[in-house]
Amino acid sequence: MAAGGGGTGTNKTYSFKVVLLGEGCVGKTSLVLRYCENKFNDKHITTLQASFLTKKLNIGGKRVNLAIWDTAGQERFHALGPIYYRDSNGAILVYDITDEDSFQKVKNWVKELRKMLGNEISLCIVGNKIDLEKDRHVSVQETETYAESVGAKHYHTSAKQNKGIEELFLDLCKRMIENAQADERAKGNGSSQSATARRGVQIIDDEAQVQSSGGCCTSG
Amino acid sequence: MSLKSERRGIHVDQSDLLCKKGCGYYGNPTWQGFCSKCWREEYQKGRQKQIQEDRELAERLQREEEEAYASSQGAQGTQPSLTFSKFEEKKTNEKTRKVTTVKKFFSASSRTVPKKENQETKAPSPSINRQVSIETEQVSKEFIEFLKPCQKAGHDVYKQCKICLEAMQQKREASIEEQSEYVQDFYHNTAEKLQLRWKMPSEKVEDVMDHIEKFIMTRSYKHVFCPETTDDEKKDLTVQRRIRALHWVTSQMLCVPVNEDIPEVSDMVVKAITDIIEMDSKRVPRDKLACITRCSKHIFNAIKITKNEPASADDFLPTLIYIVLKANPPRLQSNIQYITRFCNPSRLMTGEDGYYFTNLCCAMAFIEKLDAQSLNLSQEEFDRYMSGQSSPKKQDAENWPPDACLGVKQMYKNLDLLSQLNERQERIVHEARKLEKDLIDWTDGVTKEVQDIVEKYPLDIKPKPQPLAAIDSENVENDKLPPPLQPQVYAG
Repeated sequence: MAAGGGGTGTNKTYSFKVVLLGEGCVGKTSLVLRYCENKFNDKHITTLQASFLTKKLNIGGKRVNLAIWDTAGQERFHALGPIYYRDSNGAILVYDITDEDSFQKVKNWVKELRKMLGNEISLCIVGNKIDLEKDRHVSVQETETYAESVGAKHYHTSAKQNKGIEELFLDLCKRMIENAQADERAKGNGSSQSATARRGVQIIDDEAQVQSSGGCCTSG
Repeated sequence: MSLKSERRGIHVDQSDLLCKKGCGYYGNPTWQGFCSKCWREEYQKGRQKQIQEDRELAERLQREEEEAYASSQGAQGTQPSLTFSKFEEKKTNEKTRKVTTVKKFFSASSRTVPKKENQETKAPSPSINRQVSIETEQVSKEFIEFLKPCQKAGHDVYKQCKICLEAMQQKREASIEEQSEYVQDFYHNTAEKLQLRWKMPSEKVEDVMDHIEKFIMTRSYKHVFCPETTDDEKKDLTVQRRIRALHWVTSQMLCVPVNEDIPEVSDMVVKAITDIIEMDSKRVPRDKLACITRCSKHIFNAIKITKNEPASADDFLPTLIYIVLKANPPRLQSNIQYITRFCNPSRLMTGEDGYYFTNLCCAMAFIEKLDAQSLNLSQEEFDRYMSGQSSPKKQDAENWPPDACLGVKQMYKNLDLLSQLNERQERIVHEARKLEKDLIDWTDGVTKEVQDIVEKYPLDIKPKPQPLAAIDSENVENDKLPPPLQPQVYAG
C-alpha cells in the first residue's frame, strides 16, 4: 500500500501515512494544527481533534493525500510506538530547542525507526519553538550533523510564528513521492506491486510483534 | 471401575449396568444406557432420517435461491449473455455442491432460509441456526439488490463472491491465517478487477468493496470469529480478568484530561463506553470499526468540553485506555484479531477508522503490560491495589467542589461512614478474639496450676486409723449424742 489509492495512469493519487513522534509538550499538535488549519492556540479552533488530520496536496501535478497520525508522547506509551508507525511512509520527529532531553528522545526514535522500517521511511527531524531562540539548549551544529548521519532532513520551525512548517511538509511529500516511484520502478508494473507490498507489510508485522513483546494487533 | 466402586461400598444393581435393550451386554450412560451396538442402531435410525430431511430442505432452498436470483435478474433485463452466465453459475454450483454436500448440511451459513413463511413452519429444527440464516438471507438479498444496477460487473462480482464463500467453506479446517490471507487476496483481486476490467471510478469501487466485505463476512462470521483453532478465546478471558483486576485505576493515575463532574462530559463517557461494548455485537469488520470510531468521537467531545481545545494523541490515548478499563468490552482480543484478519486492508491502514483502531490496539497492549511505573505508583502500592488489600484513597467529601452532585457527596460520606464502621467492627472482632483467647489461656493456666500443685503435693491416701465400721452401724454415732430433750413439767 506504499502508493495505493485510486486513479490510473499518469494522474495517480498517492496516499501517504505520516507519523508525528516526539515527547509531550514539544508542540506536535500545534505544528500539525498550524499546517492543516493555519491556526495556533486559537480559541476559535473548530476542529474536534488534532490527532488524526488529513491534507490534500498537488505537487507538480501529482495528487497527494496526506494522513497525519499524531502519537502519544508520554514516556509511559513509548513501547507502543511500533503499533503506530508500521506501514508509514514518513515520520516527523519533533523536539523542543529549549529542551535537551527532547532531542535525546528523538535520537531514540530514529534508532528504532531505522531498525524496524529500514530506509523505506523518510525521516524529518524538526526543532520546534525557534521563537524561543534565546532559551536554546540544543546546539544547531549537533542536530544537523546528527540528522545527516542518519539520513534524515533537519528543519527549524515555529508553530507560533508559522515558520518553516509549509516547507517541512512539502519537502517530506516530495521525498515520499520519490521513494514511492523508486519502489514502483523496482517492482515493475503496478499490478503486482500492491500485492507484494501487502505481504511485505506482514513481514514487518512479525518483527514489530517481537519488539513490542506481544502487541495485540500485530499479527495477521 | 464398577468392581472397584462396589468394593468401596457403593451399591450398583447389576441390572442397571446392562443394556437397556436387554441384549445382555453392558450399557453405558453416554449411550443413554444402551450398549455400543444397540446405541448405534438406535441413533443411526434417527440420524438417517434427519440427514434425509436436511438434504431435501437444502436442495429446495438452493433451487429457490437460484430462482429468486434469476427472477431478480430477469426483471432487470433480458440480455442473452446474462442468462448464459447464469447457466454457467448453476453449473459451477452443481460441481462444487458434489464436493461439499455433507459439510453443507451441518453449517449454518451454507444456504439461505426459505423465502416464504409457510415453508419456515415446515423446517425441521428451529434452532439458533435459523436466526443466523435470517440475517444471512437479509444480507444476500441486499447484496443482490445492490449489485443489480451494476449489470454485468455486478453479476460477475456475485459469482466471484459465491466462489469465495465455497472456498472458505473448504478451508474451514485450515489455519485462520490461511483463511485471512485468502480473503485479503480476494479483496485485492476483486478491487483491481473492478478498476481495470469494469473501469469503475475509485469511489464506486470502494462502495462495492464495502458491500462485498459485508456479504462475505456476514456469512463466514460464525466460523472465522474467535475460531477454535486459535487460542483467541483464552486470550479474551485473560484480558477480561486483567481489566477486572485493574478496577481500581482512577482517571487521575492515567492523567486523563476529562472531568467527569461536568454532566455533559460524563454523558459522553457513558456513550463512549456503550459504543465500545456494542462493537462485539456487529458482524462485519467495517461495522465494528464504525463502533470504535463513534466511541473515539465521543471521547474527543469529552476532552473538548473539558479542555476547550482540540484533543491531541497525548490526551486521546489515556482517555481511550480509561474507557476500555471502565467498559471491559466483551471479547476484545477476538474482535481486534477478527478486524485485523478480515477487514479490507486499505481501510485499516490509511483511513481515520484505521487510526482509531490502531489506538485501540495500543490501549490493549498498554493494559496488558501496565505496571506500577506506567501509573506513577510505587511497586508496593501497585501490589497492594492489585491484591485488593487496599484501594486508592477516595476524595474527601469536604474537598468536593460546591457544585458537585449532592447524591454523590452523600454517597462518599456514606462510604466513609461505612469504612469507619468496618474499622470499628474489625476492632470489635479483634477484641473479642483476644477475650476468647484470654479465657482459654486462663482455663489452661488454672488447669496447669492445679496440675502443678497436684504433682508437687501428691495425694497420699493414708489408711484410716480405725477399721471401717459395719454398714449397719449407722446408729453408732447416735449413741454418742446426748439424750433427746424431754419435756419437763414445772410445778405450778
